[in-house]
Amino acid sequence: MSASPIDECLADLAAALHVRGAARRRLLRECRDHLADAAEARGGAAAVRAFGPPAEIAAAFDAEVAARRGVRSTFLTAAAVAATGGSTLALIHGAAANAAGRAGWAIAFFVAAQLAGVSAGLAAVQALAGRRASMGPAAVALLARRNSCALVAAGAAMFCAGAALPGRGSAGLLLAGPALAGVALVAVLRARSLARRLDGGRTWAVRPPLDDLARLLRLPFRSLAPQGVLVATAAFAAAAAFVWDRGEHAAVAGALGAAGIEALAVVGCFLGLGPALGLWRPSRDPRPRR
Amino acid sequence: MRADLLRGHLDGLLLAVLGDAPGHGYELSQRLTERSGGALGAPEGSLYPALHRLERAGLVESSWSRAEGRRRRVYRLTPAGRRAAEGSRREWRAFSAAVERVLA
Repeated sequence: MSASPIDECLADLAAALHVRGAARRRLLRECRDHLADAAEARGGAAAVRAFGPPAEIAAAFDAEVAARRGVRSTFLTAAAVAATGGSTLALIHGAAANAAGRAGWAIAFFVAAQLAGVSAGLAAVQALAGRRASMGPAAVALLARRNSCALVAAGAAMFCAGAALPGRGSAGLLLAGPALAGVALVAVLRARSLARRLDGGRTWAVRPPLDDLARLLRLPFRSLAPQGVLVATAAFAAAAAFVWDRGEHAAVAGALGAAGIEALAVVGCFLGLGPALGLWRPSRDPRPRR
Repeated sequence: MRADLLRGHLDGLLLAVLGDAPGHGYELSQRLTERSGGALGAPEGSLYPALHRLERAGLVESSWSRAEGRRRRVYRLTPAGRRAAEGSRREWRAFSAAVERVLA
């Protein structure tokens, strides 16, 4: 016995879908109901014709589910970075009163902590700006890279804090952040895995943060070229480090040294991680695309 | 009408037909067809990714309900969706008036 046009259409749709789980079951159920209603009104063949090409519907739905996962994993990442920050503060608070951290670990801690904050901020702004619009697989993959970077950097910051200032603390407080970061990382990897299986998901996306901020706040920010973003960020970070150190009663020379290290760290992170974080595009794609 | 002309406006159209009353996907496609006199001709299956996107954006909400012995996913506007529908209507009127002035 041959399959009806509706069964064939649903089978094609199911075969074309990449997404698994509850979202897939819900879509197939809704489409089956739709086709059954349409077939009652105008016959099976006409219902399938009006329904449209299953491959296109599957591609649009896969992209939508990837976007939903990307946005959700971003909010989870923001919570995990904040919680890991809390655990790190608990770790520092639990350090021996006379403990003095080694400068290398301390610098690594500050760099990792700022990288975690900036990456999580970039991801959050992108997710908030795109929450009411369609988001392509390349943008979801970028969101996942920003979130992964934030989570790894938050973990590295906590590790460096522990290495710099060994001490004791409540196990619950110390483990809460890393545990939430682990959950967030699974959500991020799930969104990334789906996005990378879709058309365009392996394209290296660039997304200037000021453009997202302008869209989010509906303010006419002027878009800056990547060099402009680098200069402005490095100058701001160096100035903030100088003011902070002077506020802590450091000598001018010491505060200038801290500002220089801060500026170097910003330039290093921008050059090394900029393409992965969607801040600039190298003249050649950094990875061969299959 | 060409499908690519419709693509950027599907969300606004769905919000508009949901403004009449809650409905499931097939009902919404029928409302679109009736209110446009059949001129829009969007593939009916394309409504589902759009409805899920509107749900992610918090503009519609949905739940399963049983009618005529069949379970159906029924969509309804949220308060944010009502505001978005009104905004989309205003934007479209301003846009179409501008295009009309250029084409006239």
